[in-house]
Amino acid sequence: MNLNKLTIKEAHKLLGRKEITSVELVMAHFDEIKKKDKDIHVFLSLNEEGAMVAAKKVDERIAKGEPIEMLAGIPASIKDNILIRGIKTTAASKILENYIAPYDATVIKKLKEEEAIFIGKTNMDEFAMGSSTENSGFGPTKNPVNLERVPGGSSGGSAAAVKAGFSVYALGSDTGGSIRQPAGFCGAVGFKPTYGAVSRHGLIAMASSLDQIGPIARNVDDAAAVFETIRGKDELDSTSVAMEWQDYWGSPLDIEKIKIGVPREYFIHGLNPEIEKNIKSVISKLEKEGAKIEEISLPYSEWALATYYIIMPAEVSANLARFDGIKYGYSTINKEEKLQNLFDVYLKSRGEGFGAEARRRIMLGTYILSAGYYDAYYTRAQKVRRLIKQDFDRAFKEVDAIITPTSPTTAFKFGEKTQDPLSMYLADIYTVSVNLAGIPGISIPAKEVAGLPVGLQLIGKNFDDVKLLKIAKIIETISK
Amino acid sequence: MALTKKEVEKIAGLARLELSEEEKEKFADDLSSVLGYVQKLSEVDIKKVEPITGGTSLESVTRKDDETKCVSDSQMREQILSASPNREDDYFKVPSIFE
Repeated sequence: MNLNKLTIKEAHKLLGRKEITSVELVMAHFDEIKKKDKDIHVFLSLNEEGAMVAAKKVDERIAKGEPIEMLAGIPASIKDNILIRGIKTTAASKILENYIAPYDATVIKKLKEEEAIFIGKTNMDEFAMGSSTENSGFGPTKNPVNLERVPGGSSGGSAAAVKAGFSVYALGSDTGGSIRQPAGFCGAVGFKPTYGAVSRHGLIAMASSLDQIGPIARNVDDAAAVFETIRGKDELDSTSVAMEWQDYWGSPLDIEKIKIGVPREYFIHGLNPEIEKNIKSVISKLEKEGAKIEEISLPYSEWALATYYIIMPAEVSANLARFDGIKYGYSTINKEEKLQNLFDVYLKSRGEGFGAEARRRIMLGTYILSAGYYDAYYTRAQKVRRLIKQDFDRAFKEVDAIITPTSPTTAFKFGEKTQDPLSMYLADIYTVSVNLAGIPGISIPAKEVAGLPVGLQLIGKNFDDVKLLKIAKIIETISK
Repeated sequence: MALTKKEVEKIAGLARLELSEEEKEKFADDLSSVLGYVQKLSEVDIKKVEPITGGTSLESVTRKDDETKCVSDSQMREQILSASPNREDDYFKVPSIFE
């Protein structure tokens, strides 16, 4: 039995039947990491000791005949911008190179209550800014499917961990596509829940009106199981919402009652024709099985990326102001003999601590928010953002879900887009609208192109996350 | 939309970022190219549109100001303080700001 390819459900069953122990499962994952992570570079830190202690605890409960939670004893890896108390949390930035988290993120607290096992913290683009992990302060992660290619980003380490068999599932964060795009590039399932469904307390903030935590997993059921655990209102994130959630595990949806929208703006030039073919073939299959397919229009899609590249850096510049060389993180305060003034401590700590992309976005945001430009950029973008949201509101009066490619290309090669920031930004062209509108989106594997994974994105209505997962499950089933 | 090196210096100062001379040139190019791209938004008619101001439609969410919700034990307090690069007792120490 290959313990490194199990789904959550399979692992849970094996643990319950005492066919394997959690300790065996955890050890199998660390063995795989020791064999392969030299080449892939998924982890920024490992939690071997902590994981073994937690696994033993679960095994004792099983031995006593206690029933265990769905995620109990099952290895997870966590993106390194999510705080686990007592464990180094860097957001892949030199400015947090030695930062030990003093508290648990709410999602971690919830996973701990289920006795999930944390294998380690995964690599990412610095502060989640990027689409390839090449912006990591500690070197990029490689795509386990093809080591010459990027795993996508910013949650590239989390997606690679799931694909490489280093953990059964992972947590990522998604601000403009950072869960869905790497899941697509690595051939995993990546789910960004509705804004407000999952607490971000303890997530190192990038762009607060867009950030959302979600799972990366081997199939839709697993993504749903993790989502059920981590969602919910949290006093410590005032944007989180209390909801009566539908039950995912109940009867499946009747495919003949599902209406799927295909937005014409997402199937235009710039999209790899082979990817288009594979997505279209899923659409025809859906139609053949009885789903209603409707061409729709999201006319403001064309301006989504430009809107995103105003709102996101504006919020980044505000959020990253907290890294000042005083409270925590890298600082030059003790570096020089002669007493510096406070302004110099800020300038030098931040100038030396942040990588190029972080500095680029902080500057962009500072400019956009500065006197004289605020209305021309920021207010205008917030208005276009409303138009983009209205596009989706209109569409969801007609359809249950919208189907698109996750990305216009398959995983690209290292260095291909690092010289020109704008070309890197275009990797997110199909994913950013979902964050701007606050709605849920999921990427599931479609048929590969030239040996590289292709992601199919399914977009749902606000807080219709469970329905979206159910439709994704149907597509997953008929694509097999 | 081309930013000058001087404008980049001004922004970097506002953002509290020290840049090398080389970086100033590079960032002038990079920022100009992104700002050029986002100019695209001037094509959109926004006359009757109200701006969205956040990710949700929730308004005025409050909670009790109870620090034990965040700092749950004394060990955590200690961990937070000891993360400071220049701690003195229970303070974050900064260079003097008055001449």
